[in-house]
Amino acid sequence: MRRGTAPGNILGLRITALLFLTLCLAPAARAAQAKRLVVIKVDGLPYESVDRFVRERDPRTGKSQLPWFEHVFYERGTRLENFYVRGMSLSGPSWSQLDTGQHLQIKGNVEFDRYTLHSYDYLNFIPFWVANVAGVRTDMPGVELLDELRIPLLADAYQNQERYLSFQLYQRGTRWTTLQRALQNRITSRTARELFDEWNTIGFGGRSILGEQMERELFARMKDPRVRYLDFYTTDFDHAAHHNRDRATQLAALKELDDLVGRVWVEIQKSPLAADTALVLVSDHGTNTDERVYSQGYNLVKLLGTAEGGGHHVITKRRLMNDYALKGIYPLIPLIYTTTEESFYLKGQSTSYPTALVDFDGNERASVQLRDSDLNLLHIFLQQLKRDDLSPQLRRAATDAFFSVIDRRRPEWRRTLDELKEELAALHRLVEAQRRLVESLPKKWTKEDAEAGRDRAAKRESARLDSWTGDEREYAAYYQSLASLLSLDPARMKPSAVRVEDIIPRGAMGEHNTLHELQNYVAGPAASGLALAPDGSLDMQRSFVRVNYFDLLGRVAVRNNVQPLVESRPVDFVAVRVPVESLGALEGDERADQAVWLYGGPERQALILSREHEGSLKLRYLPISNLRQGPDGRIQFDRAQWAAGFPLELWEDRALETPAGSTRAEWLSGWRTDLEWLRAAHRARYSNAVVGLHEQLARHATAMTDPDEPGIPADEKLIRRFRRRQRHLVESDLLILANAHWNFDVRGFNPGGNHGSFFRPSTHATLLLAGGDAAGIPRGLSIREPYDGLSFMPTLLALTGQMESGARPVPVLWQRGFRPFPGRVIRELFDAHKEQGTPVAGSSKAEDAP
Amino acid sequence: MRKASSLTLALLALLLVLPAPSRVSAQLASELRTDDDTLAVKPEARPLFRLETTPVGRDAEILTLFGSLNGLGPAEKDSYVPLVSILRDTLGDTDPENDRLRHVWMLTYTRPSALQRVASAVPFLYSRVGDKRKAAKNGMPPAVIDLASPERDVWHRLMWTALQNVVFNPYGFVAKTSTGALHHNSAAYRQAHLMRALAILSLYEAETGEKSPFTATERSEIEGRLLLADKAMGGLVDDAYLERFRQQQTTKWLDVRGHNWELLRQRAEAEGLYFEPLEMPDGGATHALLWVAREDVTATRERKFDGRFLNIKSPWGDQRLARWGGYSERRHFDAQGRAVPEPVGGGRTSELIPLAIYGLDNPKIPALLVDFRDATNPKRREMSRRVIEEAARNVLALSRYGGIHYFLGRTVFDFVTSRRGMDLNRPSRLRAYTQLKLLLSLDSSLDRDLRNEISERVEWVSLNPLENDMEAEARLARQQHAALMAYAKDPKGLAARLERDRRSELTPAEHGKAERVLLRFANVLSLGRYKHRESGTPDALRGSLDRERRLAYHRRYLREVARSSPLVEVKWNIEDVRRSLKVVAELRPRADSELARAAAKIFAQTADEETRRLCLDSLYRIDNEAAKSALLRIYNAPDTSQELRLLTADYLRSALREEQRIAPGDAKAIAALGQ
Repeated sequence: MRRGTAPGNILGLRITALLFLTLCLAPAARAAQAKRLVVIKVDGLPYESVDRFVRERDPRTGKSQLPWFEHVFYERGTRLENFYVRGMSLSGPSWSQLDTGQHLQIKGNVEFDRYTLHSYDYLNFIPFWVANVAGVRTDMPGVELLDELRIPLLADAYQNQERYLSFQLYQRGTRWTTLQRALQNRITSRTARELFDEWNTIGFGGRSILGEQMERELFARMKDPRVRYLDFYTTDFDHAAHHNRDRATQLAALKELDDLVGRVWVEIQKSPLAADTALVLVSDHGTNTDERVYSQGYNLVKLLGTAEGGGHHVITKRRLMNDYALKGIYPLIPLIYTTTEESFYLKGQSTSYPTALVDFDGNERASVQLRDSDLNLLHIFLQQLKRDDLSPQLRRAATDAFFSVIDRRRPEWRRTLDELKEELAALHRLVEAQRRLVESLPKKWTKEDAEAGRDRAAKRESARLDSWTGDEREYAAYYQSLASLLSLDPARMKPSAVRVEDIIPRGAMGEHNTLHELQNYVAGPAASGLALAPDGSLDMQRSFVRVNYFDLLGRVAVRNNVQPLVESRPVDFVAVRVPVESLGALEGDERADQAVWLYGGPERQALILSREHEGSLKLRYLPISNLRQGPDGRIQFDRAQWAAGFPLELWEDRALETPAGSTRAEWLSGWRTDLEWLRAAHRARYSNAVVGLHEQLARHATAMTDPDEPGIPADEKLIRRFRRRQRHLVESDLLILANAHWNFDVRGFNPGGNHGSFFRPSTHATLLLAGGDAAGIPRGLSIREPYDGLSFMPTLLALTGQMESGARPVPVLWQRGFRPFPGRVIRELFDAHKEQGTPVAGSSKAEDAP
Repeated sequence: MRKASSLTLALLALLLVLPAPSRVSAQLASELRTDDDTLAVKPEARPLFRLETTPVGRDAEILTLFGSLNGLGPAEKDSYVPLVSILRDTLGDTDPENDRLRHVWMLTYTRPSALQRVASAVPFLYSRVGDKRKAAKNGMPPAVIDLASPERDVWHRLMWTALQNVVFNPYGFVAKTSTGALHHNSAAYRQAHLMRALAILSLYEAETGEKSPFTATERSEIEGRLLLADKAMGGLVDDAYLERFRQQQTTKWLDVRGHNWELLRQRAEAEGLYFEPLEMPDGGATHALLWVAREDVTATRERKFDGRFLNIKSPWGDQRLARWGGYSERRHFDAQGRAVPEPVGGGRTSELIPLAIYGLDNPKIPALLVDFRDATNPKRREMSRRVIEEAARNVLALSRYGGIHYFLGRTVFDFVTSRRGMDLNRPSRLRAYTQLKLLLSLDSSLDRDLRNEISERVEWVSLNPLENDMEAEARLARQQHAALMAYAKDPKGLAARLERDRRSELTPAEHGKAERVLLRFANVLSLGRYKHRESGTPDALRGSLDRERRLAYHRRYLREVARSSPLVEVKWNIEDVRRSLKVVAELRPRADSELARAAAKIFAQTADEETRRLCLDSLYRIDNEAAKSALLRIYNAPDTSQELRLLTADYLRSALREEQRIAPGDAKAIAALGQ
């Protein structure tokens, strides 16, 4: 019998070869994989401070000022010399990116929905705790939102019993036992004498009580070999640096952190998985602090309230002068209304008709949303038409103008109404289905269920139902007002019979303002009242007080300038997302997918253009001047020659390193990938601002905001469109960036330092890694190649063997919702793998399942 | 009648307890400098401080810090004025390990004159009554603190409280209010000088940095103890907390200062005023001046003024400012708003009128210290808390803990005034005034006329009859320093006193807890006349002191090492740790469970074999139960290596043989170890 090569044999050979390969490669793979991750998350820790103090010797001991940082990360681990925030140097967005590895969906610490005034307060723990006790919330708001967008967190790569999560911004659930035991253990862990001494000297700080307990729990959970992910979050350095600029205070805070690193490291060494554990220390941003300078605050809320600023009633989510307000002791911060006496037409109506929303968190930037200027127009018209003393000609002209505004906006508003109607119907069906699901869920849980997190998952479904029900109710109210407005009939309308609140939605900002509106914002009726044009129509220029916000913000200057290193102008520049389709002047090679306009003055402007090209992101900086948008939506601008003084100061910045062989002008005038920008500019004054501004202001699709994905059910399509709408509704009209050592904090004062801007001290964050013998982390390695926040998550997953080649998570993670990561894995950590050429920041759209 | 005479006696006793009035010293007066303004000096070329060391006998020294008070009048301008002296007991060698810091003299802190003393006992008298002219030329000037026995302050406070409540208060309103006022003024006077001493030492440290003659431990001790002197139980706090407390307090003050700096700048900006920080020589802005431009006063008559936080009246349309004949300055600003010496293109020139001075180190809001238009304004604010407290306690006989209604009302009032940042009822203005006086003394950049005007107003605001003005303080400081130096040189003076103090210092080493309690009782019952002191020859005494102090030094170090790092050699120089352990083993301390705990902890927290052996050796030589228990635990620990376990067993058996102090249960276990 002829012996042939049967298909079965071929298969057998292949399996044998595969097994052989697997056996050969397994040790190497194991050598480069950590089985357990311990992540210390430090809010606001600048790499410069760490590096400076690690190198400085303590005269008392002759050792480093930060001996544990040196011992663990500098001698036994790897440090990234250039790790940056991608986007705003702000905790809410930055942690969301670090924790997900995806492009930014959360763009501020606080976000407001323009239609409903629903506020997303990502930093405030207390309302979350209260809602958690009441059983209506399970996770912090940021986690809820990311869940809606189906973007998993790093911790979601692990089962409930495999992870220990500390209290943090993106927190899944909460442990009440931690709070209870914190106080208990604080007392029992000390002798009476120690308690007496502490009471007399350092006091019983609340923050340290909780920190101590989380540390105890962390160490306890480390002993359990099943636990493969543990994290510890601390804000102590950030807090210290906001308040104090002096070296001694910041060093003291760093020494506390250094001690923590030491304790964690020693506990890891004692733990069962010591050799397989990777210890990672990461910060979400740096801090712009300088011993010679107090950071100066400028009150944008007050500016917006002045007549010059538009006479706005302003909403914030932080109480102004919180430390001095009796109401400040109330922990459940509602929307804060700052009433102005200078409103042109809404005096005494601040709670019904606020017209500006301000988020100033982070403090070197503020995000401002203004009510749709056309809603202001209509509101003013209605008020005027209700007057008895209006002349017939003026009444007629005003009525015509009122309806002409409605007619001009009608197609857009009608489309919104139609879409909202569909989306709310789909949402209603979703709510009903969710209600049934919640009712069907068990009400009692076993210990095993609790350990597996099933009880919490069930509560999460209830929370989701509550959240969706709220969405339905709030959007329906806006829908109703807008529908009433569009149903007005010029022939039958009797102004005296119309109730303003029926057609101008209370507490809503309406649609985003166009650039034209922001340059000609209707703030109120003119002091002389409505005026007629020679042709009998309403003179739209003379009849209203208008504000050009770019001009206004560019002119802001203070009288008292007592610090040599601080300018008298608080505002550096204003950034706005520009509809690229309106940029008719862009042709040929300048064609872009998205654009951001930077306003530093009439002659100091720039466009940051972006486009996707062969799976990678390309960006271009275009110096321009005099950008303006006409009423028809067309945007015009003058091109400018490269010179000093444009926003981001790229031309004059000596730290900008363009590649050899190209002149600065050539390089700056071309399309460059985000990696090229990062490499060239990361040491510059504004570090990776070009990339960061795109990240912050551009729209990034996710699985849950892509309604066009083929094959999805109709309701799913509508819900995705609704979620995308919600994300668009929180976008700012104006992103205002502060000059160096200026801030917009009006909650209190942060004289020590701030962050939020793109200045290098604010964006330069910390990423340090060290591990046991089997974790495969190089020792004594310093990586100079710049990386940004998008690299963190894929790198940790790669480190723990949860990534396939490229940027793809392993199948088990894919099933849990993880998708390819747009960021680079830090390849220097994986010498054996020699990972190269991974996409830098391509589209993060959901790819095909493996 | 008998009650009245008892009261008189008690008051007399009280006056005796306070330092006695000084006698005139013509000789010292003649030593005062009378330099005039014609002498050409360049104060900015000289360092702000200089240090002088004076030996006391053969085994101690006084370190005196002299300050260049450029801000003062001609008499002080060209010379250094002695400010702070500290007695360092060195036991005659150069080894810092057995040094002990003792008295700290803030040389402007003096015994009050008779008039000051009487005035300070007058209730509701919130005013100065003149300066003390001359300090005593003999004897030791009053020290602000004795660093060697900080707990004394606590006992004094407790004694005083008991005396006040048990002896004086029953005699009625007059006795209660006058003794209360006397005590309050004395305490405030001392506190002001503690703060000033602290500020001067901090400035000196900032100037000298690592060249400071004080070790890091000494710096922590001086500053930490000065800070804690203000707290009721501060004197009882363990040395281990001093550095952390000092750091935390400094951080808190700098935080407060930064907040107030920014609050005031923003308020000035919002109200159209000019803000000028006033800096100490170390660059820290502790105060700020607000100015108004003369042209703005008339041009903006109708402008609204929000006095919140500023606590002054509106300058807009104020006739006093419109006709202002007081101090003003012409200032030039560039286009960026920065002050420049000469007019520049695009800039502006304004005539500025000073409105107010604020202290920035005040919690919550800047403290108004000087109102150039209304001298009574800051004084009213200064008095508010005293009036509230004294009227409630002495006139209305209300006690915070005496009734629920007053307790609640007062708590709410205090909370609201504090939370809202109201410049009334403020507890901590004293520090702001103290610093302002220091700033005026040290800063020569302020225009002399302005400085004089500020100085006069500050003195007027002072509530304390015991206070002296700045010129008088400089004079008194020189006189007291001269007296101190004379006392130091007198063999029967400071050296003899130091010797007595050393004998007291040995008491804890020679007597157990129970005996010490009895000795303290004896001290109290004899109204302080009896104080137990150890006997022995001077050489034996020195030997014991040297041993005890070195032990204390190494105990403190080893405790710090043990509590600060989970792996000792990462954070500390292991050679230093070994050396300390060797010293401990060599000195064979008794009854030192803290040291035993520290050695045991270091054993557990080091991988260094030699250090571990030294820990075992120390535990063997520390003759107390805790040390032997720790050794036994180490012996029983599963992760102890066989070699060290054998060594531990040897130590335990030897200890048993030597009949060291061992708990009965442990002794049984050790006996069971066998040979």
